[in-house]
Order: sequence, then structure tokens, then C-alpha cells
Amino acid sequence: MSQLIKLEVVTPERPVFSAEVAEVQFPTATRGYYGILPGHTPLMTEVGDGLLYYVQDGQKHFITVFGGFAEVGPDRVTILARESETVDMIDLERAEASRQRALKLLKEALTEHDLAAAQAKLNASLIRLQAAGHPAGHGF
Amino acid sequence: MAGLQDIRRRIRSVKNTQQVTKAMKMISAVKLRKSQERLVALRPYAGKMMEVVRRVVGRIKGDATIQPGPAARAFLFPREEKRIRVILVASDKGLCGGFNANVLKAANAFVAETTSEIVHLDVVGKRAAEWARKRGLPAGAEYIGIPLTGLQRVVTEISESAAAQYNAGEIDALYVIYNYFNSPMSQTPTVFRVVPMELDRRVEGRDALEVSHLLEPDPNAVLETLLPRFVETELLRNLLESSASEHGARMAAMDKASSNAGDMIAKLTLTMNKIRQASITNQIIEIVSGANA
Repeated sequence: MSQLIKLEVVTPERPVFSAEVAEVQFPTATRGYYGILPGHTPLMTEVGDGLLYYVQDGQKHFITVFGGFAEVGPDRVTILARESETVDMIDLERAEASRQRALKLLKEALTEHDLAAAQAKLNASLIRLQAAGHPAGHGF
Repeated sequence: MAGLQDIRRRIRSVKNTQQVTKAMKMISAVKLRKSQERLVALRPYAGKMMEVVRRVVGRIKGDATIQPGPAARAFLFPREEKRIRVILVASDKGLCGGFNANVLKAANAFVAETTSEIVHLDVVGKRAAEWARKRGLPAGAEYIGIPLTGLQRVVTEISESAAAQYNAGEIDALYVIYNYFNSPMSQTPTVFRVVPMELDRRVEGRDALEVSHLLEPDPNAVLETLLPRFVETELLRNLLESSASEHGARMAAMDKASSNAGDMIAKLTLTMNKIRQASITNQIIEIVSGANA
């Protein structure tokens, strides 16, 4: 397979990633993970929270994505993420601290709303930890 | 001599002013850099967003089998513009050259020309608020003294209420009047219609050739989440453009003021030296004529 896909990930704060890759998989908001290979039918969908991975030179790499939109063409995948970071951008200590905080909030949560907020926070920290290969992320 | 004293005092005062303008120029340069960084980071995202929205809109317009929902329909098929909402973006502070004057002039022209009724006017910046009050226009929300980090909140607030108004049919269009940031030295006052979106024909034509997109889970769901994000992104971009423009304009104005002060000091110093020279010459003449006598 000689064809490649141009993967671009941009957030309002910065362009996160741009390169030619062989394969992409990303989480959608409503339909689980989508795997994209070159020559995919044009597609447009909402992105969920989770881990995107791409394959470059036979190697799998991770990028976190949190919400936004994905646009897929035969030779491109464009992700307009609300938030996103490559593994290098993740601050492990901060993610771990945020996980601990979220766990604490989860225990103390009284209202439905607090619970949902704490859960979302926990998910986000777990996604980051998993991307960075931290053991705590594997339970996710 | 009294003249000499006066000129010395003036030189000192001009020097003080120059120091102030120099300091303001430095501050503006720092602020400009911050605004510009954010703007430059956002522009690719906003550009991509625009591209994606155009493709989706082109797709939906070109396919008769898709029945757009109310939100999508309002966005895709412009209504007659009877009632509009306008957001005017200027600055809080002056001393930034033609920055405010230009954008307010554009606003004046817009108000004079428009045939639709402005039902809601949001103003960002004290100068814009003052202008709206003077013109007796219906004041909506006023955003004054918003720091760079607070822009996101303003954007969310405005875009949410504007989207609600638009969907409810209370407004038929949303305009933003702001200064577009060309470069630190140049800004263009711009009137921009956020919704309904202006599709340029060239883009529509090109996209029609492409294979149409699958929209999942379904076209309406995608559009209904995409459109608010689009409005938000465009607003944020406009506010950042204005912020960067403001600091650029102030930097240019203060730079000019500093160099003017420099010219003035040079001129005054020359006059002062002339007077001093004249008085020395006078004294010598007095001494010489006294010795001769």
C-alpha cells in the first residue's frame, strides 16, 4: 500500500499535528471508533473524547482528542478538536494529579451534576495517562 | 535670560512625555505579540472550520433527498434581513491612532446604509459603548475591560444567545464590525456577516465535483453541532483580530509620538543653543567695549 493519508489535527489554541500517515483511528461521539485507511469515502462526523492513533512507518502513535469534528476524504483526515495533544505535550504529573483530584471529587459528589463533572474529569485524565503509557491508564 | 529658562523647561517636559510614549510603545509591543500569537494559532483552525462547513453546506444544498431540519434550514437559506444583530468591536482606551475612528466610521456607514432594523447591538470596548449611547442605538450587552483570557467567555455568551435568537427567528442575520489585522502597521475596518454564511460560488462549484460526504450519524445532527461551533470560532477570531489590531495601532501611534517628541527636542535644543550663543556673544561684546572705554 503506497497511498498515504494526510492527517491534520488542529485546535483553537494551536495546530497539533500534521503529517502523512498510513492509517488513522479516532473516537466518534456517537458511533464508537472509526478506522480510516487511504481511499475512504468522504465522511463528516462529530469527534468524541478518547485516543486517536495513527500508523506511521509501521509504528503506532497516539494523540488525545476531546470533542470536535472530523472530516475524512480519500486522502485526508482533518480533525478539528476542541482540545488535543500529542504524547509529547502531555504532562504526566499534572494528569496524575488531576486523576487523584477527580477521584476525590467523585467520592464527594452530591449532585448529579457534580458527579458527571467529576466523571468527565476522571475520563480526561485517564485518556491522557493511557496515551502516555502510564499504568493507571490501562484500567480505562 | 528668561527665554533660556523657558526653553530648558519645555525640553524637560517633552523628554518626559517621550519617555511615557516610549514605555507605552513597549507595552503595546508585548501585548501585540500575545494577541498575535493567539490569532496566528487560531487562524488555521478557523480556516479549516470554514472549509469543512462549506463542504457540508454544499453537500446538503446539492442533495434533494436530505431534508434539513429547522436550524440547518435557517442557516442554509438566508431569509429576508428584516431584523439583525450587530456586534461592534472597538477598544477600551484611546491613544491608538485611527483604530477606533476607523471602525466607528465603518459602523456609521453600516447603520446609514442598512435597510434592516438593528434589534440587538452588542458592544465590545468602551469606545464602542460610548458611540452606541451617542447614537441612541438599542444597547445589548456591553463588554468593557475584557482581558485577552476573558475573550472565550464573551464569545460563548454572545454566540449562544445569538444562535438561540437566530433559530427562534428573532434575528435574520448576525454581523460583526471590527478591525481586521493585516499586519502590526495596518488594520482594515471590516463588516463581516457570520450567519447566514456567505458561500462563494467558486468554492461551491469546486465542491460539487467532489464525491459527496456521508454525514454521520445524520446530516442534521452534524449541522446542529457544527454550526454553533462555527459561529463561536468566527467570533473568537474576530475579537482576536481586533485585539491584535488595537495593540498594533497603539504601537504605531506611540512610535510616531516618540519620534515626533525626538524631533521637537532637537528643534528646541537648537533654539536653546542659539539663544545661549547669542547671550555669550553679547556678554563678550560688553566686556570688550568696557575694556576699550
